[in-house]
Parts: sequence; C-alpha cells; structure tokens
Amino acid sequence: MQSISPAPAAQTIRRKQLGQDLRAYLFLAPWIFSLLVFTAYPMLSSFYYSLTRYTILNPPVWIGLDNFVTMFTRDQLYWTAVWNTIYFTIFSVPLSLAVALGLALLLNQRAVGIGVYRTIYYLPALVPAVAGTLLFVVLLDPRNGLVNTVLGSLGLPEPGWLRSAAWSKPGLILLSIWAGTGGSMLIFLAGLKDVPASLLEAALIDGAGPWQRFRYVILPLLTPVLYFNLIIGIINSFQVFGPVFIATVVRGLGPLNSLLMYMQLIYRNAFNQFNMGYASAMALVLFVVLVALTLLLVRTSRYWVFYEGEKRA
Amino acid sequence: MSQPKEARTPLSRRSFLRFSAFSGGAALLAACGGATTAPTADGTTAPGATAAPAAAAPPTIAASGGQVTIEWANGWSSAVTQEVLPLIVAEFETANPNIKIQYENPGPTDGYAEGILTRIAGGNPPDIFYMTSTPTEYAARGSLVDISDYMSTAKTAKPDAFFPGPLASCQWQGKTYALPTSAGASAVYTNVQLFKDKGLASDRASLPATWDDAKRISKELTISDGSTITQAGLVPFIGNNWMYPVWMALNGGQLFDVAANKYTVDSENNVQWLDYWVRWLDELYGGNLEALSTAGNWDDAYPDSQFALGKQAMVHTGSWVTTDAQIPFEFEVAKMPVGPGGSKSVTAFYPNWFGIPKGAKHPDEAFLFIEFLATTGWQTWYKFIMDTPAWRGFPPDVLPTKLVEDVGEPKAKDYNTFFAEYLNDSIPMWNSPVESFAQETLNTAVGEVMNKVKSPKAALAEVQAACQARLDEVLKTAA
Repeated sequence: MQSISPAPAAQTIRRKQLGQDLRAYLFLAPWIFSLLVFTAYPMLSSFYYSLTRYTILNPPVWIGLDNFVTMFTRDQLYWTAVWNTIYFTIFSVPLSLAVALGLALLLNQRAVGIGVYRTIYYLPALVPAVAGTLLFVVLLDPRNGLVNTVLGSLGLPEPGWLRSAAWSKPGLILLSIWAGTGGSMLIFLAGLKDVPASLLEAALIDGAGPWQRFRYVILPLLTPVLYFNLIIGIINSFQVFGPVFIATVVRGLGPLNSLLMYMQLIYRNAFNQFNMGYASAMALVLFVVLVALTLLLVRTSRYWVFYEGEKRA
Repeated sequence: MSQPKEARTPLSRRSFLRFSAFSGGAALLAACGGATTAPTADGTTAPGATAAPAAAAPPTIAASGGQVTIEWANGWSSAVTQEVLPLIVAEFETANPNIKIQYENPGPTDGYAEGILTRIAGGNPPDIFYMTSTPTEYAARGSLVDISDYMSTAKTAKPDAFFPGPLASCQWQGKTYALPTSAGASAVYTNVQLFKDKGLASDRASLPATWDDAKRISKELTISDGSTITQAGLVPFIGNNWMYPVWMALNGGQLFDVAANKYTVDSENNVQWLDYWVRWLDELYGGNLEALSTAGNWDDAYPDSQFALGKQAMVHTGSWVTTDAQIPFEFEVAKMPVGPGGSKSVTAFYPNWFGIPKGAKHPDEAFLFIEFLATTGWQTWYKFIMDTPAWRGFPPDVLPTKLVEDVGEPKAKDYNTFFAEYLNDSIPMWNSPVESFAQETLNTAVGEVMNKVKSPKAALAEVQAACQARLDEVLKTAA
C-alpha cells in the first residue's frame, strides 16, 4: 500500500502555525505563570486550609468541616457580618448604579466645558480610600459635620451617622456612592456614546418624549453595560474592606459591630487572631456565594440584557 | 500590644499598619505559605515545623571578630520615630562596631503585620521584629526564640531589671520570649481649670480615689443643655478599651488567670464593674451611650477630643499622652480610682515589644540589640516621647525635652516619677495566647452592655465561654 505523504505546502503551513502558536504561548507565559502561581495555587491552598486548623505559624491540622460548622452554628459575629454585608450590597449597588447612570446621562449632554465636569465627577474614584473615608468621617460628624449642618438648617433630624448603630451603614453607603460611582459612570458614558443617533432620531420623529426615548431606546441598549456594572458592583460590595477598616479600627466608629463586614471578619481572624483556617473557610464561602450570584446573573441576563442587532425568537 | 505613643493619634502609624490590611490582606489570606519546615542557618527549625523549639545559645557575638549585619523589621513610620530611630541605631552601632543594623525607616505602612507573619511562616524571618500582637500569642505558637538564657547572662536586661508586669507580658510557661521597651502606664488626666472653675481641689492628692468619688465629681463637672451633654467628667466606657482589664482589677476582678490558664471574665467582681458603669451612664449621662457618643469624642486626650477642647474634666489614658497629645492647658495626672470590690489602685500598661523569631540568622546579636533598645537605648526615645520605660534601671533624670520646655523641669520630673513608680502596681495583662480574640470579644460585650442590649452577667458569661473555648483549643496545640 502506498502511503500518502502530506503535501510540502501543507507541512509548511502547519510548521508556520506551530511557530505562531509557540510565540503566542511565549508571550502568554508570564500571565499564565502569574495565574497559576499567584491565583490558582493560593486558591487551592486556601481551599485546603479551610479544612484545617491553621495559625499560619504552625502546620495546618486537618479538622474536616469543623470550621464550617463553627461558622454556621457557633460564631455569632459571622451572621452579624453576613447581615451587614448583604444590607450594604442591597442598598449600595442599586443606588450607585442609579447615581452613576444619572450622572452619565447629564454628562452626555453637549455643553461648554463638559470635559471639566466629567473630570470633576470622576475625581472621587481617584481619591485613596483612606482620604475618602476620613473626609466622610468629617462630613458625617454628628455635631460639626456639613451633612448634619445642612439637615439641621432645613429642620430635619440629624442622625448620628457613623457613631450610630442604626445610621452607620447608611453613612457607609453614602461614602460608597460618592467614591464608587466614578468608574461606573465612565462605563455608562461610553455605553451612551454607542447608542445610535439614528434610533434616537427615529424615536423623536415618532413623537417619543425624553422619558420614552430613555425607557425604550437608551435603557435597552445600555443593558450590556448595566449588566457589567451590576456584576462588578456586587462583587466589590461583598468585598468592601478599606473604608470599613478605617472607620472602625482606625476611628473606632460603627458601634455594636454595625459596620463589621465580611472581609473585615476574614482579616480579623486571619491576621489578628491567628485563625487562618477559619478565615480561609469564610473566604471559600464568599467565593461560592459570589460565583453563584454571578451565574444567576448570567443565566437571567438573556431575559433583560439586549445587544444591538440581536434577534430573539 | 503596640506602640502606645503613636497608637493614640487620630491616624497613627499603628492605625496605618492595621489599615494596611485592605491593600493586601485579601490576597495574603489565600497566598500565605503553607506548613514550612525550613531549616535555618542557626540550626533551628522555622515556625510551622514540628521540631521542638531550639534552646537559645549563650551569646557568642563578636567572639569571631567579624562583621555581622542583623535585620530589624521596623514597624514604626511616624515623623518622630523617623527622627529617633537613626539616633538609637547609631548609638548601638558605635557601642557594637561589629554589628550593623539593617532596617527600613520609615517602616512599611502597608502590610507590616501580615508580612511578618508570612516571613516567619516561610522560614525567612528578620532577626528582630516589632510585635503587633502580644509575645504570648507568638510564643504559644512556637515562633519566638526563648531569650531566658540570654537574660540570665545579660549586662543590663536581667530578669529582675524590669517591672514585673511588663516583663510578665513577654513570658509564656515560665520562659521569656521578648522584651518590653516601654510600658506606658495608665492614669486619669484632669483639666485643672475645670476643677478650679467648679471650686474643686485639683491637686493630685485630692483627685478621686474611688469610683464613687470619680462618679460624684464627674456629676458635678457635667453640663447638659437639656438634651445633649456639653461637658462631662470621666467617661470610662468610651475609648481606650485596652484598659478594661485594669477596671476589672480595680474592682478586685481579673480578665485572665495565667497561672491556671483560665479566663475569669464572668466573676462577680467583673459583673459588678459593668453594673457600676451602666449606673454611671444612667445617672450622669442620660443612660444613652449612642447619644453621648454623638455629642463628642470622649475617648482620649488628642486634639479632636472633648478633653483637648476643654469640655471634659477627666479622661483615662496612657502616659504617652503627656507629650504626644500636646494638651493645650494645665493638666494633672492621678492614679486610677478604686472600685467597691477593690483594695488598691493599680495601673494598666501598654508596651512596645521586640522579639527574635525562630529561624533568625543572628539571634545572639539580635538579643544585644533588643537589650539595648529596652534599656539604655530607650533614653533617646524617651527624650522625645514620654513612653514609660519598662526597665527599672532607667535614669530618673532623663526627661522628655519638649515636656520640660512646656511645663518646666519640676513638673516634668513629677510626671516622670509618678508614672515610673505607678508601674510597680501594674496588673498582669497582655498575657494570654488568645489575647486578640479575647479583646475583640470583650469589646463587643462591653458595647452590648453599655448599649443595653445585654445584661452584664449574660454578656460576660458569653465572653467567658468563648474565650475559654478558644484558649483550650490553642493550648491543645501550643508549643
């Protein structure tokens, strides 16, 4: 039987392709190395530690699911932190998105000096967490803060804000809106720039008012951007740490653990109390919850996220 | 537990150290190393290893005549420490020409505590480090070199050369694992003018000696506009919660019995302590802690506090405040008042600790440096900051320069003598292998009691159960 050898031209193409692939992998190698060593390995280690009693300073001791049992049944602070984090997420994410979208709509207008306004509204995103938090500690000071001064001058109640168990989380949410909307606003703004003028003009010709143009043209076309911001917002809010740490540990605010967030409890266990195994278990639960929430959003996105030119049955 | 002087500023170095968590904590959480058994140059085994701790060798430094460089992990970064530390290091290097100190100045403001932990765990520790947790917490987990032998042959840092309380905070199961450079004693600071305005005696001997006196005088000095407290006396239940153990001791109670390895949080004396505080809050400040907290910062003597603003007659805090807070008026210091269940005034203290981690490459030379820091070298520090030395041999004529300028030499000497002598009455504290956990748990409980969420008895019973359980768990695997 006569074997058929590949044509020389095909061999050359394959060799060329292989060379290109190798070059690509070579360029990707640093990133892959970093992913494996600095992300995958720590994640796997953390998973293992979650099943151990691990102080960092001593070798881990296998204890099976004990950390999870403690977490769900014995650690009261755990549920306090869970509640605080959910409360914070439920209010801060939608409010931040609404404010960011509103600002993006305003900053999408044609106006003199609009670039300056865009910069100004983005600036809070560049302020370090320490400075931003300390600024809000001053602004929300119950006695001398600007916020209560304004509220008082209007005859409104003056909350204790970060010094009050009931008002500390709303205070933190205000801070997160101020500091966190800049990035979302820019992404919304980019999305708005992508809305075809022809569609808006067509709607205008059809008699659509501003609200109808927003509701039926702009908003549907912004849903991919909204979807992205929502996922990022949820992940970030579940992991809020810097402002909380500064407000509580540095400034002693947030009475009755009213500002104790999930990440702070992880940190406290890991690095203050030599309880890295338990902290790893908490981190694993957080990871699972975030993955589940993200998957839920991905699954539901087909019902509310629209892409331009997309056809649906 | 940390460096007191800086720790009490509104945004201190220590606060920054803690804050540093957010920049790297989450990543380190997952990333810090696993069990390590790295052998080290001195033949010991790094923490994390299962090997028994190596006994400290007798000092052999300079015997070789060679040059040794030791690494000091410096956790200080404030302006004043940046000025002081090079002076201390230069003095040491002059006295020990064979030893060079390698250190960062300022120390890292991000990730110091986490970095030290991971370095020790990874078998690559510095020779000396400033501790952000108590020595007992590290020692019980087998990560510090036992310096008992070094101390027995030391020139200045002998075991009996330190005030017993601060030194005991460095000991675990009869061995010493670190040295306290300072141990700022606690006291009650008073605003002399507010006392005079009210016709009250303001000299030290006349200041409140008991809780009843303190409450009565506080009531006289408290002013309310009907709904808000605008001036207060002593408000012990806000701020400086590191002093809770001394309030227990002032009433004959105790937080932790180190000899028996037993928490004693829920004793009758301690329940009485919190009952007393609740009554104090009710009788003087309207019974609403949140309303009181909202009315001002009653927690210390720093510039944004009610005390510094002249709106609080008494505050309980540590000796470092004398120079650190720059109190803008005449003040007096007095001993802590005694509770109904107590018999004498005692003081808390807040040390700076230095230890040699297992796996350190030059433990002999490292001990020489921490000995210097904790004894003669602290004179340089003390000239800048009134952080009471833990060393009993400290020369009494060394005074903080700025304090002498501000209040005159006689008064500065008076403060100096007061704090140094008061340290003889320091309570045992900072001595548990689960100190951080216990503190957090106690803080939460006191907050719940003072906010009327739980009764003192119920809250302290929960603290007792939680702390003892955590302690027992640690003791099972303690080194």
